[in-house]
Amino acid sequence: MTRRDSLYRRLLTWLLLPLMALGALMVLQAWIEARHTADRAFDRLLEAATLAIAEQVQWQDERLWLDLPPAALEMLATDTEERVFYALYDAEGRFVTGNADLPGPPRRDGNDENALRFRDLVWHDLELRQGVRRARLEDWRARERFEVRVAHTREGRERLTGELLRANLAYILGMAGLAAAVVVLAIRGALTPLSRLRRAIRARDPRTLAPLELPLPHELAELRETLNELLARMRRVKANQERFIGDASHQLRTPLAGLSARAELALRQDDPQHWREALEAMQATSARTSHLAVQLLSLTRLDNPEYHPELTPVDLDALARGAVRRHWSPCHRAGIDLGLDAPDSPVTVAGLDWQLEEVLANLIDNARRYGATRITVRVTAAPPVLEVEDDGPGIPADRRLLMLRPFHRGSDDPDGSGLGLAIVDGIARTHGARLRLDDGLDGQGLRVGLHFPEEIA
Amino acid sequence: MRHRWLALLWPWLCLAPLAGADERLHYPAEPMTGTSGELVVHGALDLVYARPLFEAFHARHPGIALTYRNLDTLSLHRRFLAHPDEVDVLMSSAMPWQYRLANDGHARPLASPEAEAWPAWARWRHELFAFTFEPIVMVVRRELIERFGRPESHADLLAMLERHPEALRGRVVTYDPERSGAGYGYAIQESRLTPRYWDLVAAFGGARAALATTTGEMLAGLDDGRYWLGYNLLGSYARAVADANPALEVVVPDDYALVTQRLALISRHAPHPDNARHFMDFLLGEAGQRVIAEATPLGAVHPALEGPGTATALQATHGEALRPVSLGPGLLATLDDLKRQALLTRWKREFTRTDAASP
Repeated sequence: MTRRDSLYRRLLTWLLLPLMALGALMVLQAWIEARHTADRAFDRLLEAATLAIAEQVQWQDERLWLDLPPAALEMLATDTEERVFYALYDAEGRFVTGNADLPGPPRRDGNDENALRFRDLVWHDLELRQGVRRARLEDWRARERFEVRVAHTREGRERLTGELLRANLAYILGMAGLAAAVVVLAIRGALTPLSRLRRAIRARDPRTLAPLELPLPHELAELRETLNELLARMRRVKANQERFIGDASHQLRTPLAGLSARAELALRQDDPQHWREALEAMQATSARTSHLAVQLLSLTRLDNPEYHPELTPVDLDALARGAVRRHWSPCHRAGIDLGLDAPDSPVTVAGLDWQLEEVLANLIDNARRYGATRITVRVTAAPPVLEVEDDGPGIPADRRLLMLRPFHRGSDDPDGSGLGLAIVDGIARTHGARLRLDDGLDGQGLRVGLHFPEEIA
Repeated sequence: MRHRWLALLWPWLCLAPLAGADERLHYPAEPMTGTSGELVVHGALDLVYARPLFEAFHARHPGIALTYRNLDTLSLHRRFLAHPDEVDVLMSSAMPWQYRLANDGHARPLASPEAEAWPAWARWRHELFAFTFEPIVMVVRRELIERFGRPESHADLLAMLERHPEALRGRVVTYDPERSGAGYGYAIQESRLTPRYWDLVAAFGGARAALATTTGEMLAGLDDGRYWLGYNLLGSYARAVADANPALEVVVPDDYALVTQRLALISRHAPHPDNARHFMDFLLGEAGQRVIAEATPLGAVHPALEGPGTATALQATHGEALRPVSLGPGLLATLDDLKRQALLTRWKREFTRTDAASP
């Protein structure tokens, strides 16, 4: 189908096609009915003609005798000048008189006296309607049976059929036209709320996310509610984005303001030793700020719903070993026990290795910063899970979801950006993995795990 | 079954008094463009009437080789049934036979402007066309008029016959319905028109009317003064004789006058159907009808023609009284064997009624 699919056309087709089929059926029925009516009307002529002839049948000279009344034949020819045939037969079916040796209906046994029968007949290539009357003489002595057969061609019947059908056809066509008009109007009417909805959506201010308020029939009201739910979600997303931007600019403004104040303070001094101290402090602050900017950037990218990186098989086992190796010496210097708990066989998931490395770095960093003394990086094979467990203060269960929001920090540590867990959450979503925050061993500390979908081989 | 109604046919022969064995007219084709080919017409129409008609047709369509055979009505009918593919157009004055052929589907419909314009009372189904208009008349001699006055109607005639049976004994002549097909045909039509017809038959019997088999026979008797009154003569022939003999007068009865018509049809199996159509168009067209009106006494039917020799003129003077034999299935009753016997029995009974009443 090259034509555009359309509700209007679909409804029109499925309502008008059955309507047309029904109309055709009605025309057929009307034709049958008209033919039947015409036959009934004209059969009265056959009946009258056979009766007029039968009344003239007598017993004379020891044989059946007929004084044929010409009017009996003339009544069989109407305005359409039908061809007329008649014949008289005796009890044995022998031809007595007539202008055509017409075949009779099969003889039935029994006492079908004064029986009258009509039938269609093709005789010498002529389509005839035949009337056959069986009767017997009502004479004192002779009670001879006889049979009168008359027939005429169908022109008059066909003309009457045509007239009746034409009258009926006009009626049926009128009805069909009316029905079609009603169907078209009904479909238009039924589809009007849809156009109203479309106009309402089109006429909206593109910047507003306010819910749609217009009365609609309940099928469309469901659509409206669904739209409104979508709008509500978009409103929340937008609010989140605005808050994120606000938080981000706030986060960036604070170190920049610090830099500016430090520089201003240093410029009032003349001592190069002060300058140097100030520059060193400024360098540390700017490094932190640029780290913050990098984190913001990656979070923004992760939050972008259009972001679908191509995932490649990653060995979690090797990844965990690499991370432990990289972080072991700083932890060791800080007196933290960093350990690995992984199976010997490789555990492969679909993912991006650099993102998963960042997850481990963030989690280990967080654990360190919140005062853990023992950190375990754990990999399990079935289901594939990558998790980091610490014995730090942990997070109360009711606050764990909050921790996933950007800039939400568990404490007032000035070094923390509050973005670590949010980034981990974003990476988990990118991998189709589920992020779980649980209590650590013995109900102490925190265990953060990425549960990967199982089907990845 | 066929032999039965063919046996019935022989009296129709007598309708054409001059009919001989296989009279022919032949017009060879003249080489020219336009219509060509052959045309075969069989008719019960004397050559003296047929010749002007065919000459006029041949002048119009000289490319058509035309053959006309004049047959008596019985041979015509029998020959057609034996060889329906031999003849293109069939013309006959035996109305019931022609009607029966058409009714049985032997005719080919003609759908030309001429056929469409033809008056409905003079055609049947576009298959059968009445192309002449010949009233059935009385012919009276001057002697009768001088003695009893001129009978203007059947009622006058009946009154005259009943009042003067002795004076008119043997002076009246009419058809013998038993031996003449035409006479039988008129009898059946008249008996349907009025029950008083039987009184007339009885009056004829009372006057010992002579019975003839042809119009010619009656005219001969009237011409030489043997008969004073002839009843039911073919008007076309009577007119010609009466014009020649001032002692004879043609009376078209003013209460009712039968009109007989010659019927033409195209055979369903016509070997040259196109030429047959040309001929029928000519016959039913103004040109052919004008020939009939001016060159023959047959009477033209075409409604556009006026003046002597046309149906229009006759209808203007005798409009109310003219009763053309209707082209309908009633004609079939005429051919019914038992019907014929029943009618003839009645006719004979009525004709001899006076004898039975006063032996």
